[in-house]
Amino acid sequence: MQRLLFLLVCGLCVSAAAQTAAKKRVAPSAPVSATQSSSLLKVNVTAQPYDLHLPWQKQSPINSRGLGVVVAGNRVLVTAQLVADANYIEIELPDGGQKLAAKVIAVDYEANLALLESAINAEKEKAFFAGLKPMEVDANARIGDSLNVWQTGRVGDLIESPLTISKILVRRYVVEGSGFLVYETTGIIRSEANSFTLPVIKGGKLAGMLLSYDSKNQVATILPGPIVEHFLKDFADGAYEGFPGLGMEFQVTLDGQLREYLGLKPESPGVLVTAVIKGASAEKAGLKKGDILLAINGQTIDARGDYKDPRYGALSSSHIVRGNAYVGDDFELKVIREGKEETLKGKLTRKNPDDYLVTPYRFDKGPRYILNGGLLFQELSRPYLDSFGEQQTENSALLRLSHIARHPDELEEAGLKKLVFLSTVLPTPSAQGYDQLGGIVVNKVNGQSVGDLKDLDAAFKAIKGTTHVIELDDFPHVLHLDAVAAEQDNLRLQGGAYRISSLKRLE
Amino acid sequence: MKNRLRFLLLSAFAIALLPGHARADATTPPEWAGIVNIEVSVLFPDYREPWNAGQPSGGSGTGFLIGKNRFLTNAHVVSNATRILIRTTDDPKPHPAKIVHIAHDCDLAIIEAENPETFAKMTTLDFGSIPRLNTEVIAIGYPIGGDRMSVTRGVVSRIDFRPYSHTSVDSHLCVQVDAAINPGNSGGPVMQNGKVVGVAFQGFSGRVAQNVGYMIPVPVIKRFLTDIEDGRYDHYVDLAVSDFPVENPAQRQALGLQDDGVGVMIGDVEPAGTVGELLKPGDVILAIDGNPVLNNGLVRIEGDLVNMNEIVERKFAGDTIQLSYLRGGKKEDASLKLKRFSPYVRLGSQYNQRPRYLVYAGLVFQPLDRNLVDAHQIRDATVNYVFERYLTDKLYVERPEPVVLTSILPDQVNTWLTPYAQSLVDEINGVTIKTLDDVKTALAKNDKPFIEIRLHEKNRPLILKRDLADTAHPRIMQTYSIQEDSYLGQE
Repeated sequence: MQRLLFLLVCGLCVSAAAQTAAKKRVAPSAPVSATQSSSLLKVNVTAQPYDLHLPWQKQSPINSRGLGVVVAGNRVLVTAQLVADANYIEIELPDGGQKLAAKVIAVDYEANLALLESAINAEKEKAFFAGLKPMEVDANARIGDSLNVWQTGRVGDLIESPLTISKILVRRYVVEGSGFLVYETTGIIRSEANSFTLPVIKGGKLAGMLLSYDSKNQVATILPGPIVEHFLKDFADGAYEGFPGLGMEFQVTLDGQLREYLGLKPESPGVLVTAVIKGASAEKAGLKKGDILLAINGQTIDARGDYKDPRYGALSSSHIVRGNAYVGDDFELKVIREGKEETLKGKLTRKNPDDYLVTPYRFDKGPRYILNGGLLFQELSRPYLDSFGEQQTENSALLRLSHIARHPDELEEAGLKKLVFLSTVLPTPSAQGYDQLGGIVVNKVNGQSVGDLKDLDAAFKAIKGTTHVIELDDFPHVLHLDAVAAEQDNLRLQGGAYRISSLKRLE
Repeated sequence: MKNRLRFLLLSAFAIALLPGHARADATTPPEWAGIVNIEVSVLFPDYREPWNAGQPSGGSGTGFLIGKNRFLTNAHVVSNATRILIRTTDDPKPHPAKIVHIAHDCDLAIIEAENPETFAKMTTLDFGSIPRLNTEVIAIGYPIGGDRMSVTRGVVSRIDFRPYSHTSVDSHLCVQVDAAINPGNSGGPVMQNGKVVGVAFQGFSGRVAQNVGYMIPVPVIKRFLTDIEDGRYDHYVDLAVSDFPVENPAQRQALGLQDDGVGVMIGDVEPAGTVGELLKPGDVILAIDGNPVLNNGLVRIEGDLVNMNEIVERKFAGDTIQLSYLRGGKKEDASLKLKRFSPYVRLGSQYNQRPRYLVYAGLVFQPLDRNLVDAHQIRDATVNYVFERYLTDKLYVERPEPVVLTSILPDQVNTWLTPYAQSLVDEINGVTIKTLDDVKTALAKNDKPFIEIRLHEKNRPLILKRDLADTAHPRIMQTYSIQEDSYLGQE
């Protein structure tokens, strides 16, 4: 969890005037004002992620505090990180301290943005938002522009930290596969009682949200206005579709010998396409591994994989689609294939996390599982593998699972939707002798192929006789489970020491 | 398996014995004179710069006379030796010696003095049998803590099938004693009633276990001595299967087993092993050579329950073995010729070998094995996967000797390729790389202006222009002072 919890370490002075003086002494270069913003809200969240290894239960609750920005329609914009796996969310007026329970109405974990709304009746909501003013989004910041990070003091006083944009580039946000535009800024951000998700302001408008701050180098990364704007625009029609992606990987072509081998002229643009993700936009348009990608939507891609952005200069070509286009938009790729230039056309789509063989991330919903007679079956996910940390490179079973996770293509070709594996074995009489097993991919159960946990559920029901036959991809290759004994154990698992609330979660 | 101390003392013993300290004590039997100190100078091969000779070092262990000018010691005492000297308690002169036979898989070696006359008249030690539990033994040798012969005393604590840490991938019968066994004891005799009952060879390091020392018992020693009778060591033979204990009642029933505790399931079979073409996972071994195999894979030999492999352990390549097994509830019998299963060897430490490699245009190719993985501290996920799962995923069938592009010696010709060090090589110039020799063959293919190297699970081919690479090659060899651009093994 990358959640930071800032503690209020010293009591602040009561009067605003005294506070101003104190601030000046601490950081004379950072002018502060005692005014209050009518667009900021405190957001208090209790989150409780699921236990990835014992998926029927949740981990300890985590409390986080952040700031939200009021946008049109009495809605509050926060980062998705803040509200991930939230059990309870409340918004709080910084000065008066009134609180209102809130709920997530749109969230994008890749773009790391979420929109909140009151969870209570309209009247209360109206009163709560009465003194608040929606903030507009600024999507026009450039390198060199000055921004201000806004925070609130103890009594709602506004604390500003000035930053300057030093770079604009594309970088991963939080979850895997989330390369988006960021502003990189320099400047000091003081630590206040709010945690992350701080709004960044330019000329009274929202220029972005703070993503990360490296206090040692005084470098902050900002989730920028254009991405916020895209998120809000997408949601405007009520149906949130998310950011589209081409779904491909490329390699730079700076190496002169590689260029010659590929038949690229010295001055020719283009990158080498090295992977095309199954089912994603580029594949549907006919892009193939080995193509030289010359241009996306008319923007020339240079040997580094950058294009010339009119606002930001050289920028990673992924922004052409991810930050600028919407799901359903037409796109056009210019490629060289076997020495000939070709144009590929298609409509942009987005691949949902559930559409991947190995789920890249999953929040708010518990991991899917089936527990039968002590044998715990799960679908492989990135967070599950990551939860083992360094062990991933040492443990033989995990090495194999990680290997599969890196190369899902063949299994996807074979029609697998998810990778079902025996993750662990709880000690029960019916699973006697199996307790040391774990991390083994399941091929078939009762003669039926297992393409996801729903298949497994059906396969357990398709038992012939009274013994389940479980075929595994690895040592010991076959397990037998007495169905009657397993059912008895299932009852014990629910009522006994383990107190397992449910034997499966398929949604 | 990392927590076992190898009793090779890595710092050289510098002290020669003073003349005048001649005779062993009158109370010690005369045959103890044949228990000698072995001083070894070694050269650790350099798997990072395989063209270099390696790191000189030294060590010391024990050995004992078992025949005419024949000393038994541990393989690890004399591994990678460049010079072996035998020193005795009553002679200030070092006696140069050489290895006659070395068996890394059971950590035993025979050495002899260069001058056969030196020890011609000395009495030899005789072998006993496996000592019983809780009987007293003494360990004799030259361990740390002094220069003269040391004797420690203890009892037999346990007799078990254990991994031997010299290779880390071989397991044999092993006897645990609580007599102090320390670095330097290696290769020395453990004795009972005047007979050798084992060779001290390893212990437990760390703070958890105490008074745990291991010796190689007589059956393993006898097997080694029998094996080399024809002048050659032929190694152990193996069933090359993994057994899965049958503890689960449903499993037992489904496999068609009686409730009599007999029968162990086969969980995995190595296709290149003795039973590779006979057994498959899910089969159940009922008996080996008429000895019933229990649910947990043990058999009873001479009254003791031991791992079923112990039956195979005592046999030799070409010997037959009788197997009774169940398949689909039906009992079958088979008679098989035992053979060695060698792919596992590269997963363990190897010794007395010059590292094999090939350098071309600054690209260093080496075969994947334990020595390479340890030396390069490989972090590449693909290489680690292939190494770890080499047997279990049967990767050796397709690629007997996976080749790693271990490092790239920077030069203008390969400057864009340096991020691809520590990658597994798939093919070069269209040739699938199954062994290091294939790299040579593939690079020699001269029909195209480009050399095209495809790596496993890397996103682009490595391209070198043939003429540029050929020009750069001698330059790189000179700059990085590499004398030979390859060593592919003895012709």
